[in-house]
Amino acid sequence: MPKPAFPESLRRVARRARAPVASARALVGALILGLQIGPVLAQVKLLPPEEAFRFSARSLDARTVEATFAVADGYYLYREKLRFSSTPAAIAAGSVVLPPGKVKEDQFFGKVETYRDRVVVRLPLDNATAGQAVTVRADSQGCADVGVCYPPNVQSVTVTLPVSGGPPGPLIDANPPKRRWFN
Amino acid sequence: MAEPSPRPAARARWLAYAIVAAAALALGLYAFHLLPDPAPGSRDSGPLLAVSLPDVDGQLQSLSQWRGRLLVVNFWATWCSPCREEMPMFVRAQATHGAKGLQFVGIAVDDAAKVRQFAKEIGLNYPALIGGYGAMELSRTLGNSVMALPFTIVIDGKGNVVLTQLGPVRPAQLERLVADFL
Repeated sequence: MPKPAFPESLRRVARRARAPVASARALVGALILGLQIGPVLAQVKLLPPEEAFRFSARSLDARTVEATFAVADGYYLYREKLRFSSTPAAIAAGSVVLPPGKVKEDQFFGKVETYRDRVVVRLPLDNATAGQAVTVRADSQGCADVGVCYPPNVQSVTVTLPVSGGPPGPLIDANPPKRRWFN
Repeated sequence: MAEPSPRPAARARWLAYAIVAAAALALGLYAFHLLPDPAPGSRDSGPLLAVSLPDVDGQLQSLSQWRGRLLVVNFWATWCSPCREEMPMFVRAQATHGAKGLQFVGIAVDDAAKVRQFAKEIGLNYPALIGGYGAMELSRTLGNSVMALPFTIVIDGKGNVVLTQLGPVRPAQLERLVADFL
C-alpha cells in the first residue's frame, strides 16, 4: 500500500486543530444572526389592557360566581386596585377575599401586592335566584414589565346561575380572543 | 484502536450550533421585548399643537405657545410608576437645556390635586397640564394604540414629529434629541 503523502492520522489531527476555530466562527455567526433576526420576529406590540388582563367568570352554584383574571406573561395587576360588583344580585358585603399577591417594593407606592399569571376570586351573591343572569363587573389596573401602565380598566361578563344543585356554568370571557391572521 | 465514526461528532456539533442559534434568537426576542414599543404615530404635529388644556391652576394653556422650541410632550399620571420614575430626568434636562430651546410639557391623565402634590414633590419645573381620561383618547389619536403610559411625543422647532414613544424615554435617547435638534 503506498504511503499517503499526508498521513490520514496527521490529517485527522489537523482537522481537530482547525475544528475549534471553525466551531467558534460558526457559533459567533449563529449568535449574530440570532440577535439580528430575533428583534425582527419579535415586533410584537404591547397588548391592549383587555388582552393583557383577560377577565372571565363562571357560576359555581346558585349563589356563587367565580371571577378569573388571566394575566399575560410580562404583565401584572395591582391587588388593591381590583374591585368586583354585580347586578342585579349584588356581591355579599365583605364576602370577597382577594388572594394574597406577590409583595413588591415600589419606589413610589411602597409595599404593593401584585398578581401575575392568574388570580381566581369567589364572589358570593346576595339575593341570587337560581337560573338568574348576573352581570359581574371587574375594575382593575395593571402594568407591563417593559415600563408602561394602563389606566383603570372595566370589564364585564354575564353568567347564568345554575338551578339549585346544578353543575357550575361554563367559563365566559369578557373579551373573547379575536382571530388575527396577519398580526 | 477503532476510531469512532465522525458522524455522531458532526451531529453533536450541528446540534450545538442549533442550540446556540436558538438561544441567540431567544435572547434577541427577549432583548427586543424589553425595549419600549416605538409607537408609530402621525408625523403631523398640527393636531397636537392645536390642543389647549388647563394647567394645575385652571388656566387654559395652548400647546401652540411652545411652537418653535424642541417640544417634548409627555403623557403621564401619578398612578403610573414608570412615569414618575422618568420625570426627574425631564426636570434635569429642562433645567440644563431650557434656555437653549428645550421645552417639556406634561399632560396628566389624572386630577389636578394629585398632580399639584406630585409636582411639588419632585420640583417640577415645566408645565403640567390636566388632561383627565380625555388625554388618553388624545394620545391614542397620536399613535398610542394600546393607551398605556408613559407616552411621549417630541416635536422639533420646525413642527416635525421627531419621536413618538410608548414607554420610558431612555437617557441616551434624550441626549440624542438634544444633540440632533437643539
